[in-house]
Amino acid sequence: MDTSKQIPHWRVLAASVCGTSHLKNQQLCQDAHHFSILPDNILVAAVADGAGSAKLGKVGAMIATETVIDYLSIQGITQRTLADDNLVRSLLMEAMLAAYKAVEEEAIACNKKPQDLASTLIITIATPLMAAVAQIGDGLAVAKDTMGNLIALTLPDFGEYINETIFLVTPGALDTAQVRLWREAIVNVGVLTDGLQMLAMNMSVRAPHKPFFFPLFDFVASAEDKTMAKEQLVRFLRSDRITQRTDDDLTLIIAALSN
Amino acid sequence: MDFNITPKVMLDTIGLDEVVEFAENPEPRCPCVLLLDTSGSMQGEAIEALNQGLLSLKDELNNNSLASRRVEVAIITFDSNVNVVQDFVTADQFNPPILTGQGLTNMGAGIHKALDIIQERKAQYRANGIAYYRPWVFMITDGEPQGELDHTIEQATQRLQTDEANKRVAFFTVGVENANMSRLSQIAVRTPLKLKGLNFVEMFVWLSASMSAVSHSKVEEQVALPPIGWGTV
Repeated sequence: MDTSKQIPHWRVLAASVCGTSHLKNQQLCQDAHHFSILPDNILVAAVADGAGSAKLGKVGAMIATETVIDYLSIQGITQRTLADDNLVRSLLMEAMLAAYKAVEEEAIACNKKPQDLASTLIITIATPLMAAVAQIGDGLAVAKDTMGNLIALTLPDFGEYINETIFLVTPGALDTAQVRLWREAIVNVGVLTDGLQMLAMNMSVRAPHKPFFFPLFDFVASAEDKTMAKEQLVRFLRSDRITQRTDDDLTLIIAALSN
Repeated sequence: MDFNITPKVMLDTIGLDEVVEFAENPEPRCPCVLLLDTSGSMQGEAIEALNQGLLSLKDELNNNSLASRRVEVAIITFDSNVNVVQDFVTADQFNPPILTGQGLTNMGAGIHKALDIIQERKAQYRANGIAYYRPWVFMITDGEPQGELDHTIEQATQRLQTDEANKRVAFFTVGVENANMSRLSQIAVRTPLKLKGLNFVEMFVWLSASMSAVSHSKVEEQVALPPIGWGTV
């Protein structure tokens, strides 16, 4: 068999589960995620974490992620167009802006303030040759290159206090968004919300934790049966080992290029 | 067909939670200073109720496994002296002292001390790479500043207001019985609350619930607190 003709394609698994503290208080999971695999092997993914203090954080998170993916899906992007740094940056920022406007419109429609729909937002575009991320607030996006290096595309953005971050609707948030372009061949991408941050990152050196991500990347790369694999991912996120350490909502998107 | 079975079985028997390793980070800390009036007027029923309340705070915090590891309690008393009777400890190590009442009400010095130990604690967190939440001070008094120079109180008030404005601290004031609520509202930025009777137990249960909520929630600025049943504005 001639394997050289096989084109690698993205395999993606994603899940959001409700944190135990929210379950206890009968609250909804405030996290949301959305992703799509576009033609030409382009993966677009978004995660958002609704603020605990926002009444409609969940709604804001859902609208933000869906708007981003809808927006990116109709731009006709190709690997060729993504070769232009400026275009990538403006795509990411336009997607952020689209999400912001959609959240604002929803707030008006619901007769609420945009702050009531506050959420963080991480947008990722990945091809076999590059990854680009824009992020407002905390959470984390990583990529693994072909040499097995784990790259922190973004890092959590929180102020002096770990529970105080900025949100998509925070005035001026769009100007302070982290934007990162990585132009190397990559084989994996991972995006998560802050619920997993303390498990997935070594905070003292501010670097992602390889033994957290690599088994997950192996897992998604070999996941033949998507439904079952997703069930397993959810089981993992609900496992005692995790809930003993965090009671927050958890969202994880993991992707692998595989043949 | 058979080819598909093997990986599935593998995946099923080896759960992800057995292969994924977690980063070892210190728990983020949620510091809370109890700044307690132990002047002579507190002696008797009030101080006994306060001591009971402290015990329930310990129990409540320890009912929440994350809170017991994240919330750090320190206790400062103020009467004619100011004493740190309990330096910062996580709730699981917290053994409430038995307080007694005597002397005057050196509130200004007490406020200074509370802000001092918070500043020191933050420096320790930073030096050790420990993430933290905005510190809380919970001041409980049945009176008003007494036995101190006006200057000391003014200075403490000013420092407190600057620290609130710069979000260095969230300072809550609770008045008990004959507390001078209007005087207290000149000192604190947040409106002081009046405790209903000597309902310290309910107040500390609330404090525990609030600290637990804070220690796992994310907020933009203001902390969304549970409703207050134990006091009035």
